[in-house]
Amino acid sequence: MTTPVLICDDSSFARKQMARALPEKWDIKVSLAGGGEECLEMLAQGKGELLFLDLNMPGLDGYGVLQAIRERDLPTMVIVVSGDVQPEAHQRVKALGAMEFIKKPVSIEHVQDVLNQYGLYLESDVIHQRISVEVDIWDGYREVTNVAMGRAADLLARVLGNFVKMPIPHINMIDMVDLQMVVKEVEGNDTISAVCQGFIGSGIAGEALLIFKEQSFDDMASLMKMEGEIGEAKQLELLMDLSNILIGAFLKAISEQLEFDFSMGHPNVLGRHLSMHELMGEAAKKWNSSLAIEMGYVIENKNISCDLLILFTEDSIPALENRVSSMIG
Amino acid sequence: MQEQTDTINSLEWLFDIFRSIDVGVVIVEKDYSVKTWNSFMVNHSGVSSQDVINKNLFNAFPELPDAWLKRKIDSVFMLNTRSFITWEQHPYVFKFRSYRPITGTAEYMFQNVTLIPLHSTDGAVTHAGLVVYDVTDVAVSQIKLKSANQLLGKLSRTDKLTQLYNRGYWEESLDIEFERSKRSSQISTLVMFDIDHFKNVNDTYGHQAGDEVIRNASRTLLNNLRKTDVAGRYGGEEFAIILTNTEAHTALYFAERLRKKIESQIVAHDGVEIRYTISLGVAELSPEMDNHQQWIEAADSALYESKHAGRNRSEIYSKKTL
Repeated sequence: MTTPVLICDDSSFARKQMARALPEKWDIKVSLAGGGEECLEMLAQGKGELLFLDLNMPGLDGYGVLQAIRERDLPTMVIVVSGDVQPEAHQRVKALGAMEFIKKPVSIEHVQDVLNQYGLYLESDVIHQRISVEVDIWDGYREVTNVAMGRAADLLARVLGNFVKMPIPHINMIDMVDLQMVVKEVEGNDTISAVCQGFIGSGIAGEALLIFKEQSFDDMASLMKMEGEIGEAKQLELLMDLSNILIGAFLKAISEQLEFDFSMGHPNVLGRHLSMHELMGEAAKKWNSSLAIEMGYVIENKNISCDLLILFTEDSIPALENRVSSMIG
Repeated sequence: MQEQTDTINSLEWLFDIFRSIDVGVVIVEKDYSVKTWNSFMVNHSGVSSQDVINKNLFNAFPELPDAWLKRKIDSVFMLNTRSFITWEQHPYVFKFRSYRPITGTAEYMFQNVTLIPLHSTDGAVTHAGLVVYDVTDVAVSQIKLKSANQLLGKLSRTDKLTQLYNRGYWEESLDIEFERSKRSSQISTLVMFDIDHFKNVNDTYGHQAGDEVIRNASRTLLNNLRKTDVAGRYGGEEFAIILTNTEAHTALYFAERLRKKIESQIVAHDGVEIRYTISLGVAELSPEMDNHQQWIEAADSALYESKHAGRNRSEIYSKKTL
């Protein structure tokens, strides 16, 4: 009997990756949903005896879908597929009734293991119809970013012992003029600290910029168990720790997914000896625009928030596109 | 055979470079025992590698900031990511003399340190590498640059007569505040004022008396500012103040208080006592304004309204006054 399988993810790229990871010789009918609401409708129509569900989606997210499934008592088995690898996220979805948790990026082997474990996969002579998915390159960038963000959030959560809310990243081309506006704002505001770090390798170059609001320092220090008054030296210490974790983990996860190696420059602390203005200098004028990934991290129940901005140079875009498209063949 | 010789050669070359490179390399285990100590470290510390290999780094160098550095090394093992220490956090990790003991200005070597997780074949982090860079020249020149820039910045930002911000710097600040308020939808208000019949003061008592009045007005203004307010000398006898996170009605209290304070001032010059008054215009930032110039125009038109209504008073800008 043909099993209806539903894949729900806001990213076309992730839907395609998931669909490709399903065993070929399996008698299933695959449907796709691009968001939480659509997913619930399709479940009600019986299109998902088995559901692969993403967590971080705009609108109704994965947590909301799990809740609705429970409230409406919809007949489905849910496997959560997410880049949020914090143990806490894992526990939360299980408590909401999810059967299993698969880390992104999904691998064929892991999916097969999970299916075997629950006796869901029966090899059959029927080769299921591969579903065709239109993929947008921007969805690809978003997906790679989601996975990298999840790794960074996990490390941060481990260090702080507190759940980190996964942000929805904004990815777009920004004008250098806009960037200069942001910089001007950071400089005009002495309640903001920033660290900037460059990276280069395999035809891809860029800079990571971490912007931290000073009002977050006290809560951050108490989570890091730092004692005494939080003066300038300790603020710098916290800022460097945070940038080592967030920038380091993010770039590492990006390079692992895209399989490129890179060197990292030493971080520069802005606003202490160098102003951003001086740092950007003439170099910024060489580029008209830049591919920017913006993420706002928030620590749950604490007054801590920071923005991570990853900027790729214009001439890195062909190499990036190449590597992202090769991930889905 | 040839291939083998090449491999041996290139390993030897690598080793030669590793010995002579002007960067410190240290490898430690989880318990901080030293496994590698290159020539840079030997030469700068004066401790040979035999004396430190297999010993605990912190026993060999008791002056190291141990709790702090241990935390950094531990986090490399735990998180499996590179970690960076900049000279701005700690001028140095290892207390080495500067490379130019005679002609240099720094006594000790400023250092950047990178901590790198090192893996065994099964992927586990078994060691940590510390790479020590000498950044003395960069650090010294940045510190010098900073103090020079601070001086220059201060000079080019202040108006000589009043010690308030000059027009150029003040307008830049207004522009930044304009963008910030727009973005965060916060309410900020601009107050502009000028001295009533200032030309008469100059004509009657002379320009020096005029300067004295301007100085008095700016001093009175400075004494009545909150820490977050930004005040500048906008023109000859015209002044402007940005009141952040303040509504027009609150700003009007500020304006009226300032007006009354100034009304009660007596400026003594060459044996004469001069009294003077000011007229003020108040304009809250509104969503229709496209740039900071329009904000200035709004405050200016309220100021004009005050003048028109008889001077020595404050008016809030409303659209019909334009």
